[in-house]
Amino acid sequence: MIKTLGLEYYKIRRKKIWLMITLFLGVEMLWAFMSITRSIAKNPDHAVWESIVFNISSMNGLFMPIISAIVVSRICDMEHKGATWKLLVATNVRRGNLYAAKYICANSLLLFGILTQAVMMIVFGLMKGFPGTPPIEILLQFIVVNLLTTLAVTALQQWISLAIKNQTFALCLGMLGGFVGMTAGLFPGEARHIFIWSYYLDLSPVTFHYTGSTSLYITQPVGAGIVLFALAMTVLFYIAGSIHVSRQEI
Amino acid sequence: MNTSAIVQTQNLTKKHGSINSVNKVDLYVQEGEIYGFLGPNGAGKTTTLKMLLGLIKPSEGTINIFGESLNKRRSTILQRTGSLIESPSYYGHLTGLENMRVMQRLRNVPDKNIHEVLRIVRLENQKDKKAEQYSLGMKQRLGIAMALLAFPKLLILDEPTNGLDPAGIGEIRELIKSLPARYGITVLLSSHMLSEIDQIATSVGIISDGNLLFQGSMESLRKKGRSAIRLKTGDNTKAEELLLTQGYSLTKGGSRLEFDNLADREVAEINRLLVEHYIPVTRIEEQKKSLEDIFLELTGKERSL
Ligand SMILES: Nc1ncnc2c1ncn2[C@@H]1O[C@H](COP(=O)(O)OP(=O)(O)OP(=O)(O)O)[C@@H](O)[C@H]1O
Ligand SMILES: [Mg+2]
Repeated sequence: MIKTLGLEYYKIRRKKIWLMITLFLGVEMLWAFMSITRSIAKNPDHAVWESIVFNISSMNGLFMPIISAIVVSRICDMEHKGATWKLLVATNVRRGNLYAAKYICANSLLLFGILTQAVMMIVFGLMKGFPGTPPIEILLQFIVVNLLTTLAVTALQQWISLAIKNQTFALCLGMLGGFVGMTAGLFPGEARHIFIWSYYLDLSPVTFHYTGSTSLYITQPVGAGIVLFALAMTVLFYIAGSIHVSRQEI
Repeated sequence: MNTSAIVQTQNLTKKHGSINSVNKVDLYVQEGEIYGFLGPNGAGKTTTLKMLLGLIKPSEGTINIFGESLNKRRSTILQRTGSLIESPSYYGHLTGLENMRVMQRLRNVPDKNIHEVLRIVRLENQKDKKAEQYSLGMKQRLGIAMALLAFPKLLILDEPTNGLDPAGIGEIRELIKSLPARYGITVLLSSHMLSEIDQIATSVGIISDGNLLFQGSMESLRKKGRSAIRLKTGDNTKAEELLLTQGYSLTKGGSRLEFDNLADREVAEINRLLVEHYIPVTRIEEQKKSLEDIFLELTGKERSL
């Protein structure tokens, strides 16, 4: 298993996946930072740590599903392109191991992206001189819920990317996810829980409230129910995908 | 079970819908052989070889490799088996050498194996080029190198000379021929080209429409090419009548009289009979059936191969 995982990292060399994640999330961060700077200019009350966490969380609803789809697709597509799946299976690699290795590889790369986001948020907050020290607890929560949601999203993406050779399907699903994630706030509460992509916002440690003429950021506890739901989806997608792909004839 | 059987299948069947793409095949490959698996397009060669590697599941039948059941000991069997099925597999964004490194990690073999097989397939000078920039023949060589990397006990090659130029075909042929003696490798290779199998194989299995029509040594296949004796006389009609009354059975009449399976003594006898009846004998020819003829006869296909 360790060998299979090591091989995944070896195989993605020259695929420039790191660079792609960095650039993609870099654009997102830049956009978020600019919009916060503008909002602070209008309303100095917004110069708080919570604002940056909330903004990034809601924008992740758009960006993370898409970058997840791209990363997973890149990692899976190389096996389709060179017909290497049969080579690996005929060389005594268990399909279940291969599936797990790809899943871990993709998620470790995306975790790197999430961690980078957290670091950038701290840097930005310090630069802007937000009051107080960086809210470690909120940031940790941000990291955990983003990873949790990403785990479910990648489980779904990997299933599609490996089961259907044409990567257009997987990438379209990623874009659909981004759309749902971006507009999650507009859906009624219960209905949106069936869409995994809305969890970037739903599980966000910070939310935004309008009270009359003023608006403010407040921290919210993470709902245990939704967390369980996300975990259940991860397990479901992963197991279904792994079994389906392992049974496919080569 | 014979201990020297490297591959043995029983009743091996693969159904695609209601069609048996491979039908009750009993393969038998012995140690040290180069077994040529011959059949026209769509005969079921690739399907059979995929089943041997566990890439697809048989609908029926059993597979034993190295005397062990593939179902139970898949992992140990595959560790000792190298393969190249249909088109070669490669990571296009990696160089030839990096592709070999991927295999090296899976096979746990030393660096010297990589250099040796790259030298054998003559890719040393191209090893730092990306595999996607390789020509078809170079990809095929890379595929062979990857299959050969661990110098496995059993090498399964599906149409290994696909896409190679004539010089390359010759090279790969010589390479494959040297494998049993040099490295103790048993080779099972498929082809739709009779001439190729004829030049490489020591044993042969002929498959057509999923049925194994012949299996045995190359020698025994050639023996099937019994010779026919053809006669030309001054009066074929009269000669035919005469010989029929004498109990000889002709396989063909007309401008040439043809007999199957004649002993030398019988040829002399026929000649004497004709001459005694004043029928001039102008030609006595021996005609050997070519392998091609045998193959076409077996597969019942009139297509060119
Ligand atoms: N996945 C599949 N679904 C349905 N039919 C299939 C499938 N795979 C193979 N077949 C059928 O099985 C038969 C044998 O195919 P196979 O690929 O084994 O032929 P082959 O002997 O390798 O031919 P070739 O010389 O062209 O490579 C063909 O009739 C093919 O259409
Ligand atoms: Mg084939």
